[in-house]
Amino acid sequence: MRSIDKLFENSARALARRTSRRSLLAALGQVLTGAALIPLLPVDRSARAAEPVASPANAHAKLKPATDDPKSCDYWKYCAVDGFLCSCCGGSSNSCPPGTTPSPITWIGTCHNPADARDYIVSYNDCCGKVSCGNCECNRNEREKPMYRPSRNNDLNWCMANADSNYHCSVSVILGVAEL
Amino acid sequence: MKTMIVQAALLSLAAGAPVFAATPAAPPLTAEHLTVTAMPPDNPHRIYVLDEAFFNEIDSRVHLFDGDTYARLGQIDSGFTPGFNLSPDGKSTVVATTYFSRGSRGTRTDLVEFTDNQTLKTTHEIVLPSKRAMTLPSYFNLGFSADSHFLYVSYITPAASFGVLDPAKYSVIDEIDTAGCVLVIPSGANRVSSICESGSLLTVTLDAQGHEASRAFSEVFFDPDKDPIFAQGVPMTNGYAFLSFLGQVHEVDFSGAQPAFHKPWPLVAAADKGHWRPGGYQVGAIHRRLNRLYVPMHQGGEGTHKDGGTEIWVFDMATHERVARWPLAPHKLPTVLALQVSQDDAPLLFAATDTSDIAVFDALTGQLRHVEKKLGQTAWLILNH
Repeated sequence: MRSIDKLFENSARALARRTSRRSLLAALGQVLTGAALIPLLPVDRSARAAEPVASPANAHAKLKPATDDPKSCDYWKYCAVDGFLCSCCGGSSNSCPPGTTPSPITWIGTCHNPADARDYIVSYNDCCGKVSCGNCECNRNEREKPMYRPSRNNDLNWCMANADSNYHCSVSVILGVAEL
Repeated sequence: MKTMIVQAALLSLAAGAPVFAATPAAPPLTAEHLTVTAMPPDNPHRIYVLDEAFFNEIDSRVHLFDGDTYARLGQIDSGFTPGFNLSPDGKSTVVATTYFSRGSRGTRTDLVEFTDNQTLKTTHEIVLPSKRAMTLPSYFNLGFSADSHFLYVSYITPAASFGVLDPAKYSVIDEIDTAGCVLVIPSGANRVSSICESGSLLTVTLDAQGHEASRAFSEVFFDPDKDPIFAQGVPMTNGYAFLSFLGQVHEVDFSGAQPAFHKPWPLVAAADKGHWRPGGYQVGAIHRRLNRLYVPMHQGGEGTHKDGGTEIWVFDMATHERVARWPLAPHKLPTVLALQVSQDDAPLLFAATDTSDIAVFDALTGQLRHVEKKLGQTAWLILNH
């Protein structure tokens, strides 16, 4: 399983390096649309290093307007999140809360990081297996498309192919730089 | 206060009555009998409001509400990320949903439940393969053929297909692959259209037994890159109007063997294009006899297509002219996410806000009649008959 993950990760990274955003999206979309049984998408762990140290969790705190706070809906990576932020549910912007299971299928988007002025392709995975987290609801839809374009749609429950398809929260995982 | 008590005591003594006795001796209340309230007769102002219960999503429900009496009539439970619709005669509600064997976890069961709208009893169910589309509610998650002979359910795994069900025998007839096109738009006795990523429609025609007889793709009628349509249609005579993110109206006539497309027309003047937009989860309603289209509109740019309306705009479908513009701020109403209009001669316009209040307007004048506070937590779809 891990080798398949690695293969997929390497392929996706290679694609990201050598293709335009649109062609990468198209390619990923084609793969993802029929990828119910493909294991977890690539996860760029460097995103965690870039994430600021989390402030003490207060799940019920009003979301702050801050592009560098992973508990804020305004955080740059969340530009097409529609759901509850896992950062407010025991996880982080790129990890699922304890006891949940990441969705193996997902939708993708492109978000602009004001800190380095780059556009990044991000994968919006859902974390599954528990009822709605209910904290830090976030509904942003930059470049989001209706469900007839599923790889760009955030209305679908992306836990749909999980053994337990209950939706808990959403993460935003950097896949690579979008080369326009 | 002390003075008043003393005065009351003195008055009581003067009247020869004990200080705290009831006056005069009223007959006791009679014993009560526990009953179950019967539903009132159906009327054109009854609405069915889906509360998606987003904050505890396994527990959604459909609220029945009367726009004349403002009474909450009852509830139909609808499980997890449901689709729902009404039968063509309005007598039944169908809910396509998912339950887990241990409440929030465990074995997944997808099914369609049938509820009698006059008793609110769930009468039948059809167990589905675990493929039901888990997405926002719309008219197109499940729907009946015009003669009620078939019931269609959208499947997404994310491979797209739909189920053909027999609502008389309560059985699954077939599953039909839709080549990546999504949702079910029933038309006639035996046709189902789905929206494709290319901007076209796939129409599958069934045989008398509910199996595929033929299929055809339409021409491309919208640009999914430059100006996508909302994946929800607004019912109109002979078909549906699809609104685009930038406010184009694509009227599609489904009365023939294949869909026919009218020339699109704009909700927004050229100068306001891209600034004023339709938005929300149920982005329009049409009174078919009056030929009036009601749309929640807001000011915003790309990415604001799910923002609710700050105004309701009213259009004449024949002339394409805007005939009214009803701002919500004077009523202190938050943005509107879903709209529905009754089809009678004294029509009411129902608007679900992003705080899940239901505002009831006179659909002819825009006069606000009532605001029903908190009909659930996330009211995202309003249906009526």
